[in-house]
Parts: sequence; structure tokens; C-alpha cells
Amino acid sequence: MPLHRPPRFAFGLSLAALVALAAIRPAAGQDAAPVDRMVKLDQYNRAAVELMFDSAATLGLPVSYLRSVVYEGIEKHADNRAIVRAVRKQFDLLKTARATLGAIDSGELSGAAAVLYAGARPNQLHSFRVQQKSQNRLEAFTVWADLLTRGVPAEDAFTGIEKLWADGADDATFLRLWKNVQSDILQGLNPGTALQNRIRETPVRASPQTVKPPEGQQENQSSR
Amino acid sequence: MIDSEQHPYVEWIAREARRPVVTDPVARERLMAAIRAEPAPTTRVPFWRRVVEPRALLLSPATMGLLAAGLVGIGVVAGGLAMNRDGRSVDQPRVGVAPQLPVSDTVVRFVLVAPQAETVSLVGDFNGWDSTRTPMARAASNGVWTVTLPLSVGRHVYSFLVDGKWSVDPNAPLAPDDGFGHANSVRIVRKGSAL
Repeated sequence: MPLHRPPRFAFGLSLAALVALAAIRPAAGQDAAPVDRMVKLDQYNRAAVELMFDSAATLGLPVSYLRSVVYEGIEKHADNRAIVRAVRKQFDLLKTARATLGAIDSGELSGAAAVLYAGARPNQLHSFRVQQKSQNRLEAFTVWADLLTRGVPAEDAFTGIEKLWADGADDATFLRLWKNVQSDILQGLNPGTALQNRIRETPVRASPQTVKPPEGQQENQSSR
Repeated sequence: MIDSEQHPYVEWIAREARRPVVTDPVARERLMAAIRAEPAPTTRVPFWRRVVEPRALLLSPATMGLLAAGLVGIGVVAGGLAMNRDGRSVDQPRVGVAPQLPVSDTVVRFVLVAPQAETVSLVGDFNGWDSTRTPMARAASNGVWTVTLPLSVGRHVYSFLVDGKWSVDPNAPLAPDDGFGHANSVRIVRKGSAL
């Protein structure tokens, strides 16, 4: 048997293998190579975070919300342990919000978690289990969390938001309240006082069933 | 001719050697039967040696071409199986994939007035908190930075990164600090354009 045959065969086989590999790699790289930013976490903390993600997925909680917390921490150069602490905190808050409010959409759930994080008590969320026809918890929770973050006393913020909610306030009403209170705070008014004043000015709805705003108004709310 | 061939003793030996051997046919048959009855000697080569030991193979160019085509085919199929529908590799950890900008019919414009700023980026949950992905454009004259992008319906948390410093949106509600030392802003996106 000629000795030069096997090397030629091996060369051909190697060439074929290289071609096969080349066929795989471009396919894997078609996604513009999304960067795995989780590698910035060390192995231990990454495992801890992934465990919480899996638990959240099992419970039907929005994993994307928790993942976003990790990315935020990485981008803000937070310590690994601080990131894990933040994720754990948000995970716990999501569970609490879900236990209190029941099955609501992920946006409302993350909004409720933000309210709890800002300083509201879980039992205060109970008032928002009941929802009138045109009401959306998302705007109420967003304004509530904002007020708490700006320094409105927790009890005042809850009382004001809860009153508007019970009165059937719509998104536009909450948005108007937020803008007015923010304006007052920027002008130097005490946050709690600003909220109380504006709550008093907010008209109570006569008929909560007629709260659905026109489409154009909804768009304006989003545009801020 | 050499001398030895002429020697009578040598001649005798040669003659004897050339003489055909006459054997008893019965005895020969018995001998062959005994030989046939003996088990054939087997050379048992260990399995690992058969696997490891090099052996020469001959392949025609056509066979080699077919083999190469088969390997390429396997590669293509494996590559296809290794991808999700959205083109992401399955073996990439779910948690590690930087989210893409969501496909949405809701277009949102973000605006920040920062006349002194050199660079401004929009960073939030919609771009995986990646400050390189959504740079904002500055209007030539008035120092207004804007960016427009499609967002999915729902609640979005974000911040502006102004010359490397985090800044909230003065035109949006605040979200509490997640524990990283900076509060964020919230944008609620509803169905339809939110420009």
C-alpha cells in the first residue's frame, strides 16, 4: 500500500472538518454577538442570581425585571454582592406584591414592587386589588413610588393615592397630580404639604364608570 | 562448475535431495486429517489496539467529496439546531443574553436639555442597561438631546448618562434607587405612538 495515501486522506478529512466548523460558526454569530454581561459577576454570585431567576420563572414572576436589575448594577459598577442583594430584594418584593395583588400583569407587578421598595407597606397594596373599569394600577403605582422617592411621608402618599384610586381616578388624574406635586416641590414646597394641597384640589369623580379617556389623551400621557 | 559438484559424496547428497519423496497415501491422508482437525491459530488483537493502531485507507476523490459534503451537511444541521428561532444560540445562558430592543409599534421619544453636555446616552431596561447602545443626538443650536426608539408596552425604567454621570429625566416620574446609588426614571408606554 502506498504510504502517501493516508496523509492525503487525513488532509482531506481535516479540510472537510474545517469546512463543517466554518458552517457552524457563522450561524452562531448571526446574532451580532450579544454580549454575555453576566460574566462580569463572579461565579458564586452569578450562580446565586441565576438561582433566583429560575425561582422567579417557576413562580411566574417577571424574570426580565430581575435581569434588568443585574444589568443596571453592572452598568453602574456596583459591587457583586450589592447586585445580588438588589436582585434578592426585588425578588422578595415581587413575591410580596404577587401574594397581595394576585395575578396581575408583569408591568403592574414591577410597579407594585417599586412602591414597596420606596417604602409602602404590603398591606397598603390591598386597596388596589379592586380595580374599576378604566383604571390601571401602573400609573397609580408609578406616581405613588415617585412621591415616596421625592420624600412625601409614606402615610400621606398612601392616603392620597388610595383616595384617588377609590374615587375612580384615571391615568390622566394621576399624571396631573404628579406634575403638580413635582412642580410644587421644585418651587420649594414641603413634599407632604404639596401632595395634601393637590389632593384637595383634585375633583372627586361623580361616575367612575365614565373614566376612560380618549385615545389622544392616552397618547399624551405616554409622551409626558 | 565448482569443484564440490564433482565430488561423489556431494553428488550423492544432491541426488538424494532431488529424488521425489514417495509417501504412503493412507498415512498422508491421516496426517492431513489430523492437521485439519487442529483449530486454526487465531491472532487475538486487543480492541484498543485495533482502534488506536493506524491503518491505511484508500478513498477515491469522489468518496472523499461525499464525505466532506456529509460533514458540511452535519455542520449546517447542527448549527440550525443550536439556534433559537430568534437566532440566539441555545447554549448561551438565558440570563446572559443582552436584550434586544423590543419590536413594537409604540415609538417613544426621549428628550433631555443639557447644553453643556458632550455626550448623552439613554440607558434602561429596554437596552439591557448598556450605555453604548442608545446614544442621544444633540440638536445643533439649543443643547436639546433626543432619541427616538420603539418600545414595548409597559413600564420602563431608565436613566440618562450625561458625560459619564447618571441623571434622571426631569420630565418623568422617579423610580426608587435599586441600591446602586442612583434613582431612575419611569416611562409608561401604552399602545400606539407615544411621541
